[in-house]
Amino acid sequence: MLKRLIVPLLLQLVGVFVFLSGFFPQKNVLSGDASFTIETKIQENTKPPFDKLVLVVIDALRSDFLYNEVNSGFSFVHSKINSGEGWGYTAYSNPPTVTLPRLKGITTGSTPSFLDAILNVAEDDSSSNIKDQDSWPRQFHNHGFKLRFFGDDTWLKLLPNDIFDKYEGTNSFFVSDFEQVDLNVTRNIPEQLNESKEWDVLILHYLGLDHIGHKGGSNSTFMPAKHREMDGVIERLYNNMKDDTLMIIMGDHGMNDVGNHGGSSAGETSAGLVFLSKKLAGYDRPIAQKNVKVPMTLDDPSTFQYLTSIQQMDLVPTISSLFNVPIPKNSVGVLIPEFIQLLNKKVANIKIMENYKQLLDVAKEIDVQNYLSEFKVSKKIDTSIIINKMKGIQQDLIRNATDYNYDNISVGYGVLLIATIIAIICAIKIMHFGPPFALTMAISILLGLSCFGSSFIEEEHQLWWWIITALVVFGYIHSTIIGNRKFKLYFIVFVCLRLIRGWNNTGQQTTYSYVISNILEAKSSLLWALNIWTVFILCMRGFKKNPTSFISSFTLGMMVLTYKMNWSIVNKESVPEYLHEIVRKYCEIYTGTHNDSVFEDALIPMATLFFQSISSICFIKIMAVMLKMQKSDTLLNDMSKYITLLLIFLSSSSNIPQFLIFEILRYCIIKIVQDQYDSSIYIVSLISLILQNFTFFQFGGTNSIATIDLVNAYHGISENYNIYVIGGLMVMANFAPAIYWTMLAWGILYKSVKSKTDTFVKCKIPYVLFNCIVGCSLLAACIALRYHLFIWSVFSPKLCYYAGWTLFMNVIVGCLLEGFLVSLV
Amino acid sequence: MTKKNKNVKKRVTFSDDTTITTHHTHKKKDLDYDRPPVYIRKTITTVPFHLLALLYYYIKVSNNYDTLRLLLTLIPLQIAYLIFQFNRCTIYGNKRLKINIPLLLITIGGSVLLSVPAMVIIILFGAPFVEHIFQTWLLALHASFLAYPALYSVFNCDFKVGLWKKYFIAIMIGGWISCVVIPLDWDREWQVWPIPVVVGIYLGAFVGYSITAYI
Repeated sequence: MLKRLIVPLLLQLVGVFVFLSGFFPQKNVLSGDASFTIETKIQENTKPPFDKLVLVVIDALRSDFLYNEVNSGFSFVHSKINSGEGWGYTAYSNPPTVTLPRLKGITTGSTPSFLDAILNVAEDDSSSNIKDQDSWPRQFHNHGFKLRFFGDDTWLKLLPNDIFDKYEGTNSFFVSDFEQVDLNVTRNIPEQLNESKEWDVLILHYLGLDHIGHKGGSNSTFMPAKHREMDGVIERLYNNMKDDTLMIIMGDHGMNDVGNHGGSSAGETSAGLVFLSKKLAGYDRPIAQKNVKVPMTLDDPSTFQYLTSIQQMDLVPTISSLFNVPIPKNSVGVLIPEFIQLLNKKVANIKIMENYKQLLDVAKEIDVQNYLSEFKVSKKIDTSIIINKMKGIQQDLIRNATDYNYDNISVGYGVLLIATIIAIICAIKIMHFGPPFALTMAISILLGLSCFGSSFIEEEHQLWWWIITALVVFGYIHSTIIGNRKFKLYFIVFVCLRLIRGWNNTGQQTTYSYVISNILEAKSSLLWALNIWTVFILCMRGFKKNPTSFISSFTLGMMVLTYKMNWSIVNKESVPEYLHEIVRKYCEIYTGTHNDSVFEDALIPMATLFFQSISSICFIKIMAVMLKMQKSDTLLNDMSKYITLLLIFLSSSSNIPQFLIFEILRYCIIKIVQDQYDSSIYIVSLISLILQNFTFFQFGGTNSIATIDLVNAYHGISENYNIYVIGGLMVMANFAPAIYWTMLAWGILYKSVKSKTDTFVKCKIPYVLFNCIVGCSLLAACIALRYHLFIWSVFSPKLCYYAGWTLFMNVIVGCLLEGFLVSLV
Repeated sequence: MTKKNKNVKKRVTFSDDTTITTHHTHKKKDLDYDRPPVYIRKTITTVPFHLLALLYYYIKVSNNYDTLRLLLTLIPLQIAYLIFQFNRCTIYGNKRLKINIPLLLITIGGSVLLSVPAMVIIILFGAPFVEHIFQTWLLALHASFLAYPALYSVFNCDFKVGLWKKYFIAIMIGGWISCVVIPLDWDREWQVWPIPVVVGIYLGAFVGYSITAYI
């Protein structure tokens, strides 16, 4: 029996991961440093238009923050743009719009591979750095420029540190830190201005604006002040600059209205980019900037295309040319046309051809010789034609950013197909033809087909909701037919589901302001009353049968609550005043100190204590059952309580009351399943499957990288952290509701000891079937649409989520954990 | 095992012809399933062609999907449909019933009242709760006036006949299926709430009124 489960499951895993290795190969890059190739002597001996560069990167600086009439607080930048000393652009930042891949793009000029987005999370991973790759900071260093860097330490992880004369990294450890993280950068400025003779390139990277976005969205109340602060920094630097200094202000990516980034929406990909220099006033400003005054409004603000639109990578050849260093080898940028007029007349054409040749090298085309000879003869080239040609090459290069490994792809897909066929055969043998089998197939095929539509992937939660509404109504109709009418129960279930649906914004298309989590965040006393009730009700579950477990779970519950309150206080969320005082007392007892930082100081010890307590309680419980000191019948119930407390611990405070609704829903569903369906195994696992997916999305999860919850991965983690611990916590935090609903089956099935292996296999077979069929379809969609516009922004993230669901939810939680516990019963 | 399977099977087979949550308020007692004394004649007369015409008007002619004006046109046409088509095909105790004018008017009020539970259902099914509340109510009114002939017959048969709920279910299924187009990112003007669902319930009602006599 067990064989029928394990064989398709293992085959499926192997198939998916072989496929992934072929679909996301490490990118091929040209190694070595670039050097001038055309008219080398002339190029080497020209004097560049600028000799000093100040680069200010403001994380998540969306274009409208710089130019929009309503949003923007950058009044100094506006005045410079209007006077012609500043040239403003909207830079398209290629998805994945996360800091690490974007910094790769900004420094090397290459398109990031999708893998970089994942590796952004695992920052310690060394395979994502570009220490051996050609980049403009490296070229500057090689050509005798002195570089200094202050700001986000991602730069230091990416680039070899010895290219910087002086550097100091800040990290974004606390996302709720809006001020200190930026002050740590700004405090270096006076010293740098004094020593301005000792450096040629100064790079600053500010993180605060991104933090505000993550916390409060793009219209957060903290935004205007942050804009003014950044504007002040820019003004101070600019006023101390000489004429030959070029200053660049840019965002590495944008953000959507909720403040997340990673995806490919207009807001996320439209970063601001401004060049500032007194010299610029003497040249023709970009066409889009003529007769326009900033701040401005757009006809359609949702496009975020202010002034001239360019690719963010275009920055790389532009500054390389302006400072007369070779263009980095892997760059796919195109010289920004307006800057050609700044170049020395003698080298302007050479620089363009250099850029053209370099692009062709990346494109591995060699027929450049033909064109070069033509150029030498005429000495006169039509700039716009060549720029257009380069743009064409650039588009091709961006589109075909990776080479797929077709061997692995086909082997992986073949293995998955075999797994699917085996899974279907096993399912038919175990489940027989009947309504549960038909329903599983119908849902799997529906979800499978939806993988071919990018909007259905983006809005997958709608599909689950669509399925759920139909099933609730059918369930009710069925109950009336068999004469066991349960109007009240079904009504409560429906209301609970509707509340869960209204809890968070999910999906990638629309955001509503009236979602329950927003309302609760505004009314903190209600939120915390609900949170306390949630923990209390959860601890009360099964009180009659087993009062002793109430004590352990209640103790854990109190620890969870005080920790979450303390965490909210430290992160400046609003917490009712009376709770504030209670938590302060608790923290003072805990740390034995009375100073102002008592909340922060207590945070990590509290979390550590919680982790230690919960693991030791689980351990004792399991040992007691194993050594037959305690009856095993309460084991699953108690374990599910402890795990739920852990999940609450890892959830954000505005999501905790959802667990209260889950408890009510769980109670009703267990009653319905027992009365109406006689605890049918397949019905239970189907309900569990549907609710896992549904609640995953309603917790705020989507099929986009942007919504991966990182904040909750750092509970109880001190600064010298272990990447695997964080990874594990991150996966648990993101799948928290799904894990809760996996445990639905624990409370209903596994009552009789006799047939527990059979029950286990029967319970798992619908999941395997579902994952196999959806997987086949999704992988087919990825193969068929591999040159589709959305392959990196929609289909690849979905593929990663699918792998996560299969590996973590299905294998680790569903089979290994549950199998282990069931074997003890 | 076998028993369970049987139960579940029932759910699928009979799902289309049973009470539905919308109308529990109107049916206090459970209803018997005998075909006589009430049935609908199997003729083409029951096909509500005016619904197709209204849809054509709504999609092609009306200015920017005027849901309100569509409703105002729907009401008289539904009354006419009831008088001249639907009621004539209803056989009650082996005879055709004469149209009952006071009841006709009462049912109009009944439909308006029905829109309130219909709205609750629509919101439970996922309609936005705070925003677009008027649009949701318009949709609910459309649904209840599409059910108007069936509602009249419910009243006319003293709430005793289970046949009519098929019509309500047909309208609901139409609305449910039409939701599929909402997540698509085509950005068409007809994807705005509640236009697709209005079209869906009209089609659902069209199919329902046309084929219920046969099932």
